[in-house]
Amino acid sequence: MSARIAITLAWLCAIGAVVFLLSPLLVIAAASFSPTPVFDLPVGGASLRWYARIGALDGFWPALSLSLQLALLSTALSLVLGTLAAIALARGKLPGAQAIATALVSPLMMPGLVLGIALLQYFRAIGFNATWSALLVAHVVVTLPYVARTMIAGMVRFDFTLMEAARTLGCTYAQAIRRVMIPALAPSFLIAGLFSFLASFDNYPVSIFLTDVRTKTLPIKMLQYIDEAPDPTLAALSTLILIATIVLLLASDRLVGLHRMAGTGD
Amino acid sequence: MAPGAPHLVVRQVSKRFGAAHVLDRVDLTIARGELVTLLGPSGCGKTTLLRLIAGLESPDAGSVELAGRDITRVPPHRRNVGVVFQSYALFPHLTVYGNVAFGLKSRGRSRGEIDAAVGRALSLVHLEHLGARRIAALSGGQQQRVALARAIAVEPDVLLFDEALSALDRKLREEMQVELRRLLREVGATAIFVTHDQDEALTMSDRVAVMFAGRIEQVDEPRIVYARPATLFTLGFVGLSTRVSGIVAGSNNGRVEVDTAVGRLSAIGNFLIGSPVVVAVRPEHVRAAPETAGNCVAGRVRSIVFHGSNSLVEVDAGAATTLLAQIPNDVSAPPRVGDEIRLCWPVAETFAFPMPEAGA
Ligand SMILES: Nc1ncnc2c1ncn2[C@@H]1O[C@H](COP(=O)(O)OP(=O)(O)O)[C@@H](O)[C@H]1O
Ligand SMILES: [Mg+2]
Repeated sequence: MSARIAITLAWLCAIGAVVFLLSPLLVIAAASFSPTPVFDLPVGGASLRWYARIGALDGFWPALSLSLQLALLSTALSLVLGTLAAIALARGKLPGAQAIATALVSPLMMPGLVLGIALLQYFRAIGFNATWSALLVAHVVVTLPYVARTMIAGMVRFDFTLMEAARTLGCTYAQAIRRVMIPALAPSFLIAGLFSFLASFDNYPVSIFLTDVRTKTLPIKMLQYIDEAPDPTLAALSTLILIATIVLLLASDRLVGLHRMAGTGD
Repeated sequence: MAPGAPHLVVRQVSKRFGAAHVLDRVDLTIARGELVTLLGPSGCGKTTLLRLIAGLESPDAGSVELAGRDITRVPPHRRNVGVVFQSYALFPHLTVYGNVAFGLKSRGRSRGEIDAAVGRALSLVHLEHLGARRIAALSGGQQQRVALARAIAVEPDVLLFDEALSALDRKLREEMQVELRRLLREVGATAIFVTHDQDEALTMSDRVAVMFAGRIEQVDEPRIVYARPATLFTLGFVGLSTRVSGIVAGSNNGRVEVDTAVGRLSAIGNFLIGSPVVVAVRPEHVRAAPETAGNCVAGRVRSIVFHGSNSLVEVDAGAATTLLAQIPNDVSAPPRVGDEIRLCWPVAETFAFPMPEAGA
């Protein structure tokens, strides 16, 4: 009896938390259809006029392009580096493997502000002042822990006998990686890549220290828009990003699921 | 190649991991179509020897020849060796079909050839209806069969099984032993089984290679390994036996007289007088009936274990010596615990081995 009450309470808490977390998103989405130029709920009829204005925002396209470049490149770099590190940690009998793994993942636990200031000072000290490259390096630092964490977990569970089986069946080591390790770890790669992409795309606290007047990422630009002209265009943009994220998540869920189910090709 | 000609030749192979000598100058020659078991306790180097043959390890010394080709330095993907791993190592992202087709694809076979070969391999293991199944949806026994089909499909020069049946439960394992042997005969495969299970070794193979501490102690037909063990280790590892230590008191024409704590025993063997030896006999040669010839020892029955048609009787002969006798259950007056009995056995079934050095 008391167990049922506890379970009911737990459910209520969970639902409350979900509502609390999701309602701002719903409000933003609703506001983006507002017919008036104030952040308001669209009571009298919806409008798509703010969506049409997104592209006209000052400096929007360069910011979007920069953010996408950084997210894609830092994710690609982190996937390669993180996977290699995970293989070394899971396979090699490295002394202090546990400590190395912890160090790799530690930026996750560090406040972004601290990381941003540290990187800024470090880049200044070594005279590294190419904004775009500095941002890319910083985003690799931000995304690598996500990839490393997921890939180490995947690699520890990966049965390396599969690689030996592939080799006795006619694969070179490289072919065994391509035909067995990568597909068997596909879910890990996908999840790692997804988290990494999102972590880079919406990073604010680290990027803010490394941008200059002409090179700004989308989140930084968005905050600037809010300061300059707070109208529902920003709500429309946020809603689009939200939809894109949801589509990405659903698609990858489908991909992993479908891949598992089909499983004939390799 | 003529049947019986050497097909796989392992010559003077040694392997060390750090300071440990895992294999010590191992020789093994296997004929085409032969089924050979590597039998030995855990850690004696069986898996390492198998991996050396597969090319997954390379030897520190010695050579490996397969089908007339020196493959000592050939990487695994160019050896044409099939391996069935203890964990099966099936590819989880592929179906049954995808797994069995894997090696054929590596070899660049055409679509039609692959289809035909996968079909053949799956029907050999009676899984032709499960080609589209995912690996995770198979039982342990079915996974074992897929692993076998995957290894056979490429028609390897030799098939290697590393404790391949040990994950199955006992009943299934015994069925698979018989079926596997029939199947390998049918396709004319040359195979090496690694096992620490003596029953499996005796059931499955044409010859058994008994391994101990990185060395092959004896390679013979199962019946000979059992009836004429070459070393004390083989005697103890394969089957039950009574062992009594003593000193050689007389030696003549391949027969020795040995003084032991339970009296003087005769045995087969050649030793100098005064040598310390171990005298041994299998329980099925020991009789409770009074005999006139052979070795006889008296004692008190300590325990009786019923085994259906016969019973295993443990007799305390004093002086910390226990004798094992396998007594048929059709005798009119079976012994009972506590009875004083006299056990006798023929000299021809009594072996003498050199006493192992202290610590060995
Ligand atoms: N890669 C390795 N590194 C170090 N020692 C190993 C390695 N592989 C095996 N050994 C050691 O070699 C010995 C023989 O191992 P193995 O061939 O697996 O024995 P078996 O299969 O007969 O149980 C064991 O003592 C084992 O610990
Ligand atoms: Mg082993």
